[in-house]
Amino acid sequence: MSRRIIILILLFTATLIASFTATIILNPATPSELKGLAKYYVLNTINETASPEAVTAIVWDYRGLDTIYETLVLYLAIVGGLAMFKMSEEALLKTRIGLTLLSKTSTKIVALLIASIAAAIVFHGHLSPGGGFPGGSAVAVASMIIIPVFAAGTLIEKGVSSTKLVAIRGAALTALGLVALLPVVKGLEIVTNQRFYPASILGLPISGSLSLYNLFESLAVASGFTAIALYLSIPEEAHKGGSGA
Amino acid sequence: MIESILFWLGSALFIAGGVFDLIGAIGMVRFPNFYVRLHAATIGGIYGAVLPLMGISLMAIGIPELPGRFAIAGASFVTAIVLLVVAPVGSHILAYAAHKSKSVEWSPVVDKLLEDEEK
Repeated sequence: MSRRIIILILLFTATLIASFTATIILNPATPSELKGLAKYYVLNTINETASPEAVTAIVWDYRGLDTIYETLVLYLAIVGGLAMFKMSEEALLKTRIGLTLLSKTSTKIVALLIASIAAAIVFHGHLSPGGGFPGGSAVAVASMIIIPVFAAGTLIEKGVSSTKLVAIRGAALTALGLVALLPVVKGLEIVTNQRFYPASILGLPISGSLSLYNLFESLAVASGFTAIALYLSIPEEAHKGGSGA
Repeated sequence: MIESILFWLGSALFIAGGVFDLIGAIGMVRFPNFYVRLHAATIGGIYGAVLPLMGISLMAIGIPELPGRFAIAGASFVTAIVLLVVAPVGSHILAYAAHKSKSVEWSPVVDKLLEDEEK
């Protein structure tokens, strides 16, 4: 056995022993009552944001401005990444065959399943655990299994180019910013939720702006990650061939 | 009555899944090359995962005092169906890619796919 493996095993055992002794000595029992801030959220979330989901309420309402800027940072990161990969998609058009019929058929089934679960995560995000980012990531998983199985060239031929995806992402982010800015027209603060947006439409609980944020955020995340996956599927030879190859 | 039948049926499926897992593991160690090893691994992936999950769903229905037993049963059943669709295709794609890239050395008696491609 090499020295590296022995050190790894020693480290692993040391970590295990340390965590067990810490559990025994410190005895972190579950607190029997909530602390101040948690109590505030539990008691007031449903009244102040019309959402029973405290996590979504905190992310998109109590610290909404922070989350919007976070989304902007991710947008810039993806646009920067795509700019570094700058090259035409002609290289991808050569790869159009994809895998076998069997894998294509089952990928269709699985992608549909993933997409429906993603829709459930997004549209129920203000009522149950979930929301825009997890839902959009689930859609991105579906596109990430579709791209290798059907070949990226087929998708580009069908009109799914990364330019369009980035355009969708930009439009979704613009809509997100508009949802945040719209209350300013009535003289309210930016990212106002309940004093401007209705809690429900036609009896459907939409929790004000939370469901809108979830919808646009999921669109932005799904299209951004799909664009990145498309670029990552460019074969290595095309990169070596210089720009425009 | 029906509950205990479901419970024991589920247990039987569960144990059968364990047996298939053992067979798959033995095959994984003993078989000579990539393709038959992949076959052994897939036995563990399909029968060793789908059968126990079906067994869990039957067992959950068979225990009336279990809280949320229908949720457990439904979730394991759906997971089993998805695995039944996904696991064979994963092995199929692996074998296809290995054959296409010619990265596996083997001495087949018959290679129909190669014959088809050479036509």
